[in-house]
Amino acid sequence: MPSNPLANWEKVGDSFYRKIAVYDAIFEDDIELENYIVAGAPYGGAIALYRDESKPFRLRDGQGSRSTIDVYSCSGQKINRINWEQATIRGLGWSDKEELLVVSEDGTVRRYFELDGEFTSFSLGNGSEEYGVRACQFWSSGLVALLSNNQLIAVSKYDEPRPRLLAPCPEGEVSSWALISPAHTLSRSVEVLLAVDKTVFLIDSTEAEDKILQDGPFKHISVSPTGRFVALFTAEGKLWVVSNDFQNKFSEYDSKSRVPPNTVNWCGDDAVILGWEDEIHLVGPNGVASKYYYDGRVHVVPEFDGVRLITNDTCEFVHKVAGVTEEIFRLGSSSPASVLLDSVDQLEKKSPKADENIQRIRSSLPSAVDTCIKAAGHEFDAYWQKRLLKAASFGKSVLELYNSDEFVEMTEKLRVLKALRDYKIGLPLSYEQYLRLTPEGLIERLISRHEYLLAIRISEYLQIPADKIYVHWASQKVKVSTVDDEAVCKLIVQRLDGKPGISFEVIAQAAYDEGRSHLATQLLNHEPRAGKQVPLLLNMEEDELALDKAIESGDDDLVNYVLLHLKSKLPLASFFRMINTRPMASALVETAARGEDIELLKDLFYQDDRPIDGANVLLSEALRDTDLTRQTEKLHLASRLLSDSKEPTVVLNQKLVTEASQLLKVQDALDKDLADHSEFLGLSLNETVYRLVRGGYGKRAHKIQSEFKVPEKTFWWLRLRALVAKRDWGELEEIAKLKKSPIGWEPFYNEILGAGNTKLASGFVPKCTHLSPAERIEMWVKCGMIVKAGEEAQKTKDLNTLELLRTKASGPAATEIERMINQLRPRK
Amino acid sequence: MAPLLRSDADYFRDKARRDLLTLLEGARGKKNLVISQELAGPVGLFVKFSVLQEYGVDRVFLLENANIDSSQRNVVFLVRGEKARHVRIVAEQIKRLQNNANVEHEFFIFFAPRRTLVSNAVLEEAGITGDVNIAELPLHFMPLEQDILSLELDDSFGDLYLHKDPGCIFHAAKALMGVQQRHGYFPRIVGKGDNARRLADLLLRMRKELDAEESSGLADPSARGLLPSASVENLIIIDRDVDFGTALLTQLTYEGLIDEYVGIKNNQADVDTSIVGPAPTPQLQESSKAPQQAKQGLKRKIQLDASDQLFSQLRDANFAIVGDILNKVARRLENEYESRHTAKTTGELREFVNRLPTYQLEHQSLRTHTNLAEEIMRLTRSETFRKTLEVQQNNAAGADSTYQHETIEELIARDVPLKTVLRLLCLESCMSGGLRPRDLESFKKQVIQAYGHQHLLTFWALEKMELLQPRSSATTMLLPTSGAQAGSKTNYGYLRKNLRLVIEEVSEKDPNDISYVYSGFAPLSVRLVQCVLQKSYMVSLIKGGTPAASLNTANTTSPGWLGFEDVVKSARGATFSIVQKGDDKAVRARQTLSGNSATKAVYVFFLGGITFTEIAALRFIAAQEAPRRKIIICTTSIISGDRMMEAAIEKGSFAKAE
Repeated sequence: MPSNPLANWEKVGDSFYRKIAVYDAIFEDDIELENYIVAGAPYGGAIALYRDESKPFRLRDGQGSRSTIDVYSCSGQKINRINWEQATIRGLGWSDKEELLVVSEDGTVRRYFELDGEFTSFSLGNGSEEYGVRACQFWSSGLVALLSNNQLIAVSKYDEPRPRLLAPCPEGEVSSWALISPAHTLSRSVEVLLAVDKTVFLIDSTEAEDKILQDGPFKHISVSPTGRFVALFTAEGKLWVVSNDFQNKFSEYDSKSRVPPNTVNWCGDDAVILGWEDEIHLVGPNGVASKYYYDGRVHVVPEFDGVRLITNDTCEFVHKVAGVTEEIFRLGSSSPASVLLDSVDQLEKKSPKADENIQRIRSSLPSAVDTCIKAAGHEFDAYWQKRLLKAASFGKSVLELYNSDEFVEMTEKLRVLKALRDYKIGLPLSYEQYLRLTPEGLIERLISRHEYLLAIRISEYLQIPADKIYVHWASQKVKVSTVDDEAVCKLIVQRLDGKPGISFEVIAQAAYDEGRSHLATQLLNHEPRAGKQVPLLLNMEEDELALDKAIESGDDDLVNYVLLHLKSKLPLASFFRMINTRPMASALVETAARGEDIELLKDLFYQDDRPIDGANVLLSEALRDTDLTRQTEKLHLASRLLSDSKEPTVVLNQKLVTEASQLLKVQDALDKDLADHSEFLGLSLNETVYRLVRGGYGKRAHKIQSEFKVPEKTFWWLRLRALVAKRDWGELEEIAKLKKSPIGWEPFYNEILGAGNTKLASGFVPKCTHLSPAERIEMWVKCGMIVKAGEEAQKTKDLNTLELLRTKASGPAATEIERMINQLRPRK
Repeated sequence: MAPLLRSDADYFRDKARRDLLTLLEGARGKKNLVISQELAGPVGLFVKFSVLQEYGVDRVFLLENANIDSSQRNVVFLVRGEKARHVRIVAEQIKRLQNNANVEHEFFIFFAPRRTLVSNAVLEEAGITGDVNIAELPLHFMPLEQDILSLELDDSFGDLYLHKDPGCIFHAAKALMGVQQRHGYFPRIVGKGDNARRLADLLLRMRKELDAEESSGLADPSARGLLPSASVENLIIIDRDVDFGTALLTQLTYEGLIDEYVGIKNNQADVDTSIVGPAPTPQLQESSKAPQQAKQGLKRKIQLDASDQLFSQLRDANFAIVGDILNKVARRLENEYESRHTAKTTGELREFVNRLPTYQLEHQSLRTHTNLAEEIMRLTRSETFRKTLEVQQNNAAGADSTYQHETIEELIARDVPLKTVLRLLCLESCMSGGLRPRDLESFKKQVIQAYGHQHLLTFWALEKMELLQPRSSATTMLLPTSGAQAGSKTNYGYLRKNLRLVIEEVSEKDPNDISYVYSGFAPLSVRLVQCVLQKSYMVSLIKGGTPAASLNTANTTSPGWLGFEDVVKSARGATFSIVQKGDDKAVRARQTLSGNSATKAVYVFFLGGITFTEIAALRFIAAQEAPRRKIIICTTSIISGDRMMEAAIEKGSFAKAE
């Protein structure tokens, strides 16, 4: 017999709420819930029970003094028991990923993964040890701890926990507090409402803002799931709902109770649940309330779309009746969807009214179908789910064009939900919760409950990746199986063969953690991603293999990381031996060492017998040094390193290194003789010669030239440029008197002309005998000596050029050119 | 299915911008941004300072200046995660701020493109891991133009060939994976050079890893993994060390010459104000504002990209004809401007006024480029430039290089910039398989005497990079015909002939071959690309027919190096052509679904850097291949001969002052 869909509805103000009993017979009677602190994970997750130490309890044999945290599913299946031997627990909460967080009084936070007792821990620091944690509140991915000195510490992610102090709080008695999760604050980081004395402070990371209220102390404070409303419970037993900025008061409800409730929670965004020991008030908008009474202690576990009520006997879910459900089932409803549902009844009775009904709502049939599909989702009872879907199916069969995707998806989702809600699994998700949790999140929860088969079935059914399930299964297999390594490895490989995305590295890690390193190595061989294998191999001290795999991956960072690790671990000699045969590794070691560890570099080159490299290191050290004696010393060392070899390049390098220190010596002497500051030191040889000539120390320049065997041509060029720069025309004229120049005379002409001395430049034109007349003419012209150019042209009887020159000439030069032309022009 | 969406350039630009801004948003409120020098420029490519300001950035500091102060509570560092040295500096600065200031700072480090294990270790060592918020900014390809994606890794050349640090290959592989994830797998990867091979191998490995990681449905294999792309034809990878020679030549296109003489960085050139005049209207300045506080001084930043219409016209032209183009444009502008006198009706007048801002912009750009071109003209007229070019062209043409030695010696004695001299020596070494040991020794001595003994290290580096080497055995490289064995050196002698690198009669004004970019020398690197893309053109070119005629018959049927395997072997390093197969059925299904898209993309990746001149040559090919193909040029960075030398040149000296 189907239940009446309206049976558990309760009218609160304008809207309906319903309380659905999801499971019964949850806890055995010997668990006295009133003595426990209860924390439930969101999305119908696990429930953690911890004995409230402030309450007296009966010692029972066996487990007496040992305190434990017990983890149950919503249906009362015991999942795990965690022995607790640390300091008193001050906070017990869950993250969205169903990680259990336990905060003890001394500020230690333990984070348990996957419900199976493995944990990491970190400390809150920031004075939590001295003052002690008083209480904790959690949101989906973080927590805030309140210390006994009213200081607040926030941790916003658990993967890399960084406990941070919030702004300092005012002195006073904290009567209650609540956090606003980052998703709902303007600052996008967590904020805290702290009821101190008569008022409430809003505290973020930088400041504490007094909201200036007069009616405190507030015994409870609670923020709605969307962060828009705040519920305050006053000492007078009144519940207020105000806007999140405390500017507007929306409703007030008098509980008429002197005793403040144990808990104040939001049920969705419209109603507040007040929970006493055995009494629940559901307070809707405008202060209308509905009350439930229980025989024993009732615990409230909030969800974003309702609350879960846990007693020894039942697990109930209270939530607001969805609009679509209300539209269909409300007494006397005549909405199209309601009519459509009715027509199914009629149809089964083979009554013509079915068709009549359809005709009546014809125009709004598509939306009626939609409504029925949606309402099916919100229904917990399979009978009504089927009924509604049947109605939808009937409705859409009448429609010509209707996209059935939603219908199909809903059937799929309902199948999944049904499987989850089974008491053996104990995940009583509501439709909304399932949408938020996502199928992937769901799979994770199933994995952590070791429900592999169901997880795989669901992932196949919904076509989502199953690799994580397999990997987890295999890791678990590795942990619990007792057969020998080969068999386990074979079994796992066989089972996972052909499955995409399998991370053998994770399985291998599990094996290694179990102390089965041989198995781990075997499993790692099946990991296709070289990079993934490396950290584990390092852990397993398979150094050489790790290095090879890192190189194979081509990831320089990974190689560097391995090298860093090996360098600190191995003796230098074996480290060098290891990188020696691996060019990429030695290249990276060299590069890194160049920046930070010169000595290592020297050792490396020495070991490898690379004298030039070794000498070069010394040379660059010398370059970096500023002290002359030390520089010379380094150069000397470098030269000695090179002196052993007979190879021509080495010999040359040695010569040049020696030359370098010799040059420095000479330059130092020059500085002492000629300049009162360092002028020559560090210049190149050519530059030294150039400056000497420019400074008028020609003789010294000559001396250096012969000492260092500067090529004659080079020396001439240097002298030319220096003299031009010095504008020492006299000296240049002297040179012009010479017969021969190793660099020819053209450069003299060019450089001097470039410096603007046309007269002197012109003096070199006749000396450029190897040039063609045309080129010489050009040179004369550039000096402005048209007549000379003309003479040149005349010599070769070049009439055309002369004509050209005539156009350029003026004054007496013009006449001269004219004369030449006339001379050349054949007489008529 | 074929993503006919935005171009890769736009896509990567938007993605980079979005990623950065999202991260900045994560640091609530005002913040100071500390950025490493090498990232400051690239960041300017995709986000303007004003936008950063909108996202709460108050001031920008350069990491290297180490002058970050406590003016803001939030301090954001943006550095490359691979650079342990930079991470160390960051750690130092954070510790300093923590100790000094009375402000309680909130620190953020954004690692581009990824957070590395080594940087973790550095932060751990410094003991600040817990005090900072760390995030990754997956910055890979940065679009310089619609057809150029660059990793903008300034050090990649040195890393790759001097330090043999393959980090940038990994980086490149990651970046190319990004392209593949967008378009599907490259159906074929063709490449030349050992590092190119390494990159291809990495791509294959990463694909395998991705397949392994790909978590997708079990029932539906078509949704699993990526398929070979329908819109991409090839990925061609050219390792720079296959063709060092080309990059050592002085670039002769307009953009190339600007890069040679002024230097272009992240599409911007710092030009002396004495050449181009002071910064004009703020309008222009807007676009050229990099997020760092440019030290204005006497330099002016000039934006050099496609937003400047005139520049787009000039950039890839041989410098010889730039003057002509400028004249033409000047005349056109003048005519149009004069048209105001002929405007009769008010409508015409209004139209003129409407176009006025465009004129002004064009006019401004004309003035800038005329000035710039004149300055370059002046430089190219100098005697040393002429001599340098002469040596280069003789080397390129394969003339006996020993005749050039005297000129090089003169240049050394005349104290031309060291880079110029080294480029000539390296060029000779590359083109003729090394210098005679005796010559090398003598040059070594001369250069060291002229430029300082620290350059012992420079020579050592050049040798290590195999840019400047003694000739091993005198005979192997001299004979141009004895090619065809896979060598450890590129045999220019053989290739010059068999790939027709030298084309003397090329017209600079109306080019019919890519050799116009070096006035008669075709970059080997781009010829190799032509061997893949323009086979029939190459065949007829080699046979000596008139090249232009057979262009249209370019067949796509012979893929990879087919037809040129033997020739290509004479260039250095591995030669490969890999087909990436997908599930046959799925591929076919896809093809029937989407049809073959008309334009197929070809990605050309220059590993180790590309010059502007090579870009010009590739664009020339792209224009010929349009609309059948479009070429997207990818590179680790923009390189020039000078930059190659810089990687090797020892910067220290014995002088105390500096």
